[in-house]
Amino acid sequence: MTAVHQFVPALLPRDATGHHTLALRDALRAAGWTSDVYVEAAHDETAAEATYFEEYPSRARPGDVLLYQLGTASPVAEFLLGRPEPLVLDYHNVTPAEFYAGWEEHTREKVALARRQVAVLAPRSVLGIADSAFNAAELTDLGCPATAVVPILVDLGDTAPAPDPKERDRLAGRHGGATVLLFVGRLSPNKAQHHLVEALWLYRRWYDPDARLHLVGPEVTPSYAAAVTAFAAELGLADAVVSARDLTPAQLAAWYADADVFVCLSQHEGFCIPLLEAMHAGTPVVALDAGAVGETLGAAGLLVPSARPATVAAAVARVTGDPALASRLVDAGHRRLDDFAPARVRRRFVDVLGGVALGRRGAA
Amino acid sequence: MPTPPAATPPETAADGSAAPPQGAADGVDYLDQVMAEIDAEVRRRRASGDLPAGLERELDELFLEFSPVGLQGRARLRETLALVDGAAYVDIAVPVASEKPIGTYVKRLLRTGLGWYLRYIVDQVVKFAWAVSRMLHVVVDHVEELEAAVESTRSPDLPVEVARTGEPATDWWRPVAIEALAGVAGRVVHGDCGDGSLVAALVAAGVDAYGVDPSEPALAAALDDGLDVRAEPVLDHLEVVADEALGGLVLSGSVQWLRPNERQRLVDLAASRLTPGGVLVLHSATPASWAAGAPTLVRDLAPGRPLHAGTWAFLLAGRGFSVAAPLTGGPDRTLARVGASTPDADTVNAAIDAINELLLGPGAYLLVATRER
Repeated sequence: MTAVHQFVPALLPRDATGHHTLALRDALRAAGWTSDVYVEAAHDETAAEATYFEEYPSRARPGDVLLYQLGTASPVAEFLLGRPEPLVLDYHNVTPAEFYAGWEEHTREKVALARRQVAVLAPRSVLGIADSAFNAAELTDLGCPATAVVPILVDLGDTAPAPDPKERDRLAGRHGGATVLLFVGRLSPNKAQHHLVEALWLYRRWYDPDARLHLVGPEVTPSYAAAVTAFAAELGLADAVVSARDLTPAQLAAWYADADVFVCLSQHEGFCIPLLEAMHAGTPVVALDAGAVGETLGAAGLLVPSARPATVAAAVARVTGDPALASRLVDAGHRRLDDFAPARVRRRFVDVLGGVALGRRGAA
Repeated sequence: MPTPPAATPPETAADGSAAPPQGAADGVDYLDQVMAEIDAEVRRRRASGDLPAGLERELDELFLEFSPVGLQGRARLRETLALVDGAAYVDIAVPVASEKPIGTYVKRLLRTGLGWYLRYIVDQVVKFAWAVSRMLHVVVDHVEELEAAVESTRSPDLPVEVARTGEPATDWWRPVAIEALAGVAGRVVHGDCGDGSLVAALVAAGVDAYGVDPSEPALAAALDDGLDVRAEPVLDHLEVVADEALGGLVLSGSVQWLRPNERQRLVDLAASRLTPGGVLVLHSATPASWAAGAPTLVRDLAPGRPLHAGTWAFLLAGRGFSVAAPLTGGPDRTLARVGASTPDADTVNAAIDAINELLLGPGAYLLVATRER
């Protein structure tokens, strides 16, 4: 029986990579393959689903294929380099270190290490699976012998939670009829939330003096988060920029549903799952055309060529002031989500990984 | 939800909303049209004074004031060092407060019981941390001494108005630039555009052109003419433009005397921001002309010097440009040869030829380079 075992630095609940790893494992098992998850660290809630990677050698069997979920630095990379089994990378991208320069040196060093690990692993692997063509191009540049683009598994179907009505009422009560711009993602220099603050400031001057910006996501770079907060206060936006974190899925759905437009000015994205969440919520999207954002979004949003506040404010105003356009974007978003339907992505993963496993058997 | 009064584009349907074209595949053409209208809205705002030329740059600079990135030199070093000092002390007195009375008791018991063990470990950690901190203080002191020494040799920045001595887009190179840029796919930006005369000529030729210039007063005429111009240095502007977003780039003016590291950054940015097939037009004084004719303040204080055309061609070719042979023009200060009747005419004319060749001749050149696909 073919075995495809996954290795992931950390298996966390309510985490995109964690969800993807477990969903892929289930898909592989459903296809009749043996598939386990090996980790460097696991959360209490997911510990039963994983085995520590150091235990793999005693469980290794001939014919195993190893699949590494690569998105951060980890000793798992060094471990896999020493293994004889065919290695497949599932590359979710690593933020370039320069984004953290001057903001957080230890994070800069960590992502620099992760990038060095990608550079070493790419030529050693038999296949690189990438969430996007943008990520695939990085792998190819690093010497990966073959790549396939398969999106990350995101479940936004019927099982996704509905917006929490209490949360939605609470939000609506706070801002009344003001325009709400939303961004979801960690507070981090590459996500460029400060450009969102600039856009909000200009939007309030030009279009709606009561407009608000909702930022949802963890403060993973405290110095950047503090700078964004101080910047907003300096511009007189202390009450207009609202941050939230640790939301339940239903609460997050309420924040999406509450927003008039989802605005992403991130300067580096390997895929950008929040774009899909916004499409699912029926929130029209305005996004900077950077990294993989354009290919993830397709025609389901307005792609702006620059994060300059004038352009962003005008684009947001166009979406909020033109119901026909907003409706068209939302409809396009729902159609676009079909391309990322879990059943379709699962089939694609099984096909791609089957090719690796069968190819190896054939060669043997 | 308030409807933005100024957001409705000129091309609208009867109900006030934009009319999507029928049958556009995936709406891509429609979205392109919407983006063009958004761009027009921004231009209209710029032209009407709603968006002062330097406003966006000022917002960026304001943000940097709140960031450690924005702190420069000594302030940044000392602030970071203070963080190290603050983190170098490890407190062994673990808090014992708890919401439950028994919790406080258990925590205190653990702290007392493990105190001897933790103290032994922590003492060593703190010693190491302080040793590192002391070493960093020594390093910072040395760095500051070094900075002071370097600073003492630095020339003050040129006032941007003084620095604006590049030859404007005069008759000899304007038509060449327009011909080179006509028909490029994408927007064209003129760095150091000054009064915007070249931008206006490009727009009149059907090119989607705009300009940037670090001097806000220099842009006054362009703004009065309703041109799309912004008050920022071309390097800063290119930093925030997306990759492959430009169809053309015109470099002139102070680009001639950038510092070496800035010059390299400019070449790198030009290569990444231009779309494949995009055109770069570079106008510069010749080194000899600049040395002889630029204002003394510029010659004395400019951080760099104009390059020869061949040197620019070398730098651009190294970043994937194919560079056409340079054109020369501009002020020609060549000395006229003397007549044959002049005593020792041959000797004098030979000297004049040598002087013309080495020092004088056309005062400027124009390079047209294309980013290879």
